[in-house]
Amino acid sequence: MTKVDAVKQEVIRNALIAGAEEMNVSIWRTARSTVVRETLDYSTALFDGAGRAVAQSTRIPIHLNSMSVCLEDIIAGPIPIDQWNDGDVILTNDPYSGGQHLPDFVAFKPIFSDGRRIAISAAIVHHVDVGGGAPGSYYAKATEVYQEGLRIPPLKLVDGGRTNDAVIAMIRRNSREPDKIGGDVHAQLACLDVGAAAIGRISTRYGNDVLETAMAAILDQSEAMMRVTLSALPDGTYNFRDFVDDDGQEAVDLQVVASVKIAGDTCVVDLSESADQAPGPVNCTLNMSKSAVYCALLSLADGTVMANSGAYRPIDVICRSGSIANCQSPAPVANRMATGHRIVTTVLGALAPAAPDRVPAAYYGVSYVLALQAPDPLVEGEARVYFEVEVGGWGGHPEQDGADGFSCGFHNLANSPLEMCEVLFPITFTEYGLIAGSGGDGEHRGGLGLAREWRLNADWGTVSGSFERFRHGPYGLAGGEDGRPGRFVHVSESGTTELPSKISGVRLASGDRIRLETSGGGGWGDPGNRPADARRQDEDAGYTT
Amino acid sequence: MGTKNIRVAVDIGGTFTDLQVLDLDSGTVHDFKSPSTPHDPSEGLITALNGAATRFDFALSDITMLLHGSTIATNAVLERKLPEGALLTTAGFTDVLEIGRHMRHNVYALKAESRSLLIPRQRRFGITERIRASGEIETPLDAGAVRTIGERLVGEGVSTVAIAFLHAYRNPSHEQQAADILAQVSGLSISTSHEVSPEIREFERISTTVLNALLKPVISGYLERLAQRLSDAGVSAQLYLVQSNGGVALPDDAARLPVKLLLSGPAGGAMAMARLAREHNLLNMVGIDMGGTSSDVSVVTGGQVDETGEGTIDGLPVRLPMIEIRTIGAGGGSIAHVVTDALRVGPKSAGSMPGPACYGRGGSEPTVTDANLLLGRIDAESFLGGEMQLDKQASGGAIKSLSEELRLSQDDAARGIVDVANASMANAVRLSLFEKGSDPADYVLAPFGGAGGLHACAIAEELDIDRVLFPATASTLSAGGILTSDLRHDLSHSELFLLDGDAAGPLNQIVRDLHAQASKMLDVDNVTAEQRQIKFSADCRYRGQAYEIVTSWPQLNEAPHVDATAIDALKEAFHRLHLTRYAHSAPDEPVEIVTIRAIAIGLLGRAEVAADAPATSSREVETRSRQINLRDGWRDTAVRHRDTLGSEPIDGPVLIEEAYSSLLIEAGWAIRAVGDGCLMAVRQRENAA
Repeated sequence: MTKVDAVKQEVIRNALIAGAEEMNVSIWRTARSTVVRETLDYSTALFDGAGRAVAQSTRIPIHLNSMSVCLEDIIAGPIPIDQWNDGDVILTNDPYSGGQHLPDFVAFKPIFSDGRRIAISAAIVHHVDVGGGAPGSYYAKATEVYQEGLRIPPLKLVDGGRTNDAVIAMIRRNSREPDKIGGDVHAQLACLDVGAAAIGRISTRYGNDVLETAMAAILDQSEAMMRVTLSALPDGTYNFRDFVDDDGQEAVDLQVVASVKIAGDTCVVDLSESADQAPGPVNCTLNMSKSAVYCALLSLADGTVMANSGAYRPIDVICRSGSIANCQSPAPVANRMATGHRIVTTVLGALAPAAPDRVPAAYYGVSYVLALQAPDPLVEGEARVYFEVEVGGWGGHPEQDGADGFSCGFHNLANSPLEMCEVLFPITFTEYGLIAGSGGDGEHRGGLGLAREWRLNADWGTVSGSFERFRHGPYGLAGGEDGRPGRFVHVSESGTTELPSKISGVRLASGDRIRLETSGGGGWGDPGNRPADARRQDEDAGYTT
Repeated sequence: MGTKNIRVAVDIGGTFTDLQVLDLDSGTVHDFKSPSTPHDPSEGLITALNGAATRFDFALSDITMLLHGSTIATNAVLERKLPEGALLTTAGFTDVLEIGRHMRHNVYALKAESRSLLIPRQRRFGITERIRASGEIETPLDAGAVRTIGERLVGEGVSTVAIAFLHAYRNPSHEQQAADILAQVSGLSISTSHEVSPEIREFERISTTVLNALLKPVISGYLERLAQRLSDAGVSAQLYLVQSNGGVALPDDAARLPVKLLLSGPAGGAMAMARLAREHNLLNMVGIDMGGTSSDVSVVTGGQVDETGEGTIDGLPVRLPMIEIRTIGAGGGSIAHVVTDALRVGPKSAGSMPGPACYGRGGSEPTVTDANLLLGRIDAESFLGGEMQLDKQASGGAIKSLSEELRLSQDDAARGIVDVANASMANAVRLSLFEKGSDPADYVLAPFGGAGGLHACAIAEELDIDRVLFPATASTLSAGGILTSDLRHDLSHSELFLLDGDAAGPLNQIVRDLHAQASKMLDVDNVTAEQRQIKFSADCRYRGQAYEIVTSWPQLNEAPHVDATAIDALKEAFHRLHLTRYAHSAPDEPVEIVTIRAIAIGLLGRAEVAADAPATSSREVETRSRQINLRDGWRDTAVRHRDTLGSEPIDGPVLIEEAYSSLLIEAGWAIRAVGDGCLMAVRQRENAA
């Protein structure tokens, strides 16, 4: 094997990360839908020629750690790697062929030099709508993946440089937003070429052998660093259980159980004791569960390990088939984040005794997605859909209080400006603030949840929500108390109604108010040990009541 | 004495106070450097003025105009040397300042990154009042509550207050009323959001207003001290302060809206880039100001400095039009270290204290500057014009464990540190151009700042850039940019319109109002009709998008009148811009306008500048050389003084020395003088005809 010195190694590593970031910018520049342009729901990566993720852009944990397992599934089954040819692009969105949920399209482009496959560029993009029972393809009532939209098995969207326009026509025909999805698919394809150009620059400059050796060494580095992280944990098996409130169809606790075995510098995470797969769309495929486990362990390393396939090597994720963390077709999966966040909090909870200095109490652990459909105040006769995603409090940490109202864990999102929302949608906000006392008490208290409340100014509106943690508050650790659960409230002329956490099609009348309260984080440590100073400061500031 | 007409630009940095002195009668420019006095920068300024006056033979009373750039506001925020402040905002929304946009930077973190919060919850007051998105008043202002709070704040030692209500950019009446009440009951300094940043999006407006409020006492105090010192020294020049937008403001305006100075540090350098591009007929230029801890990248595209509508300081948004600067965490002080057999450079930096190991101030980790010294690229004897003796042995000691760990020779390790730093700077430049849809190959690279000249050719090669322009007086270049600044006010009006025929009426009224306001400001500044420019632009987007592009609207610059033709021209310009930036446009889709902007400029009269460029023949062409470690190892490399270069190209490798730094021209490049004291290096393509 070619020898690569530490300098070239680092220069190439930086160039690969920069290449993934350029792909990222390329999607942002060329995409059409707001999901992509504004909520930045996409991620990009560069793989080596054998299909191992090497460098990723700084984006969304759920996406980033899912692409390599997806690729593994594809080359293990439908399209073996020796059939990936120059000029091909392989595409899928099928959760049961390595994908996530149906709106997420994963695309891979093998990159060749001198007849040799030296790398693969990859991008995952959340597309605005792929059909199914509800706009945006989030159908809360789905009981089968068939109801959630168009399924695309792994196929060559581009074959030897020739784009299969029939597939694109079919995708467009199945979407409520044909122009946007068509544009975004092209943006996704274009970014793969940007990745190929970046690889081309490195290969021209240093040669294919050096590039290949450097990529292998980057993977080895991440592996070594992950092994260092794991070795620092005492050997043993650590168990933990947390709950998903329900699947939106039945009011039944869904347990997520992790048994984490640390042996030397390796780790086996067994999720088999988790609940059976649910009728409603909160299920995770094994790939999604792996992504959540990787996210938990990468954060245990505190971001020092470069996230790639090397880092995953010492980690084994197993789960009983037919469980909520390894669901089987045709279980619906659209709201997989409900269980995904919970796997992250469960694995971290299990490892708390092994890394008591680092693991915080549970964060809010849910992507609070709210959607309102209402008349457009600017264009008569048209309706618009207002989306928002909120966050809650972080868990108390062994060294500090949990952060108040801040993105954490498995996702990473920005809120929407209130003033812009009021211009574009027929609503007036009545409150946006931290909820006093919502963080779990402890030596280091949990961060506070948020209250976001608005009033409808139009004649009608329908509201939907995909929430969690209404019944099971984020757990406290080391004697700390649980964070306060969230709630969703509808105030109308006829009174105040507490709504369930997962709901769609709630009809609103003019003047009705909708209030979302998100969870505070769990507390860390015995509340009796909280310094009087800290308590007084909280009281003075009104963080506690 | 007292007969000259001198214009002075001053750029006060943490270490040096840089001057450029323009004699308006002769058109000559001189530069001057002296140490800064961080405890009170005005003290170092007076010292520098005295020094320059002596050296270049003018009297302080000859100075007619003093253009002043500094990082005083920046440092006050970064070091939290700010007074106690309070915030009055709409009831129910007092936490908006604290929640922010709630997205994190460290993706895999169990311990939350710290977030800056300048006003604690106890001093954020919710006032009963509400204005709707349309500007209608839904709930009137609770004037009594404002009065009570004002009285209470005086007693609590608070000296400055920000008032920021929802939708105040559409209807400022509640903010005005509250400000009047507070002014009556107290001597509080007051900042209102409709005055500081009259644009939609509450968090950014509140944050900017709070920063303004907290800076007001700081900047007012500084300006008072400065005025006193200037007067004591016999300087009667008109003073102007450099703003983040590259223009200057009169002291009264700066005291009222000090947040406009907040990110002005790198503005001078960017203005200098624009001036260089203009003088050398180059359309596209990318400037790298390589400092100790970081490097600032500024971009000139099509002759214009790239601007942006928002910057940040310490994670806090500052929403104002400003020159766009990308800061890279790589500089001369960046520390090299080993992470599992890989060589990393930065982001940790030794800064200037303790600084690189070779400074001998206690730094023990190897930095980029140490590597340059070990490679012979920096001369230990002549660093900073010989003002600082460098300790090569200390550099060698610092790099030892790193080279052992990597099993590299000292030379290879040092070269490795430089290579890694160059590659990461090149990556950052490529990305910042790529974001705008630009290709680095279309740009000329211009390095300045202490260490830029040693790295420029290598960075250019990484970027496939073929030309590097080395500006004259690179070490006081920012002051040179400031010297060409003009007075500038930014005005804006936020209101959402679908851009069609119906919009012409209301837009016309808005544009007229902005024009009238702009004219009034220029009246106050005593700008004559010939020296005025009022330029319009609009923030546009396709319906459904959440971000806008600032689109120039030159049709209105001649006459502020909006009609169907003007609207079509704006739409057309927006489609074109969208195509360039984002590789597609949608001419059939509706376009929204979110904010209309006007820039009022008062030209300060540009003098024809003849740079401080001694004739080529003034120095003997020496035939010096020294051992320098280049790409292919130690080579006896020619060393030339900058002033000996003529229009005849010299082939690299050659090291060019100048007053405060050196330029390394690598093999494969040729360099020559191109006028105004600038040098241009051109890459010799192997296959070039």
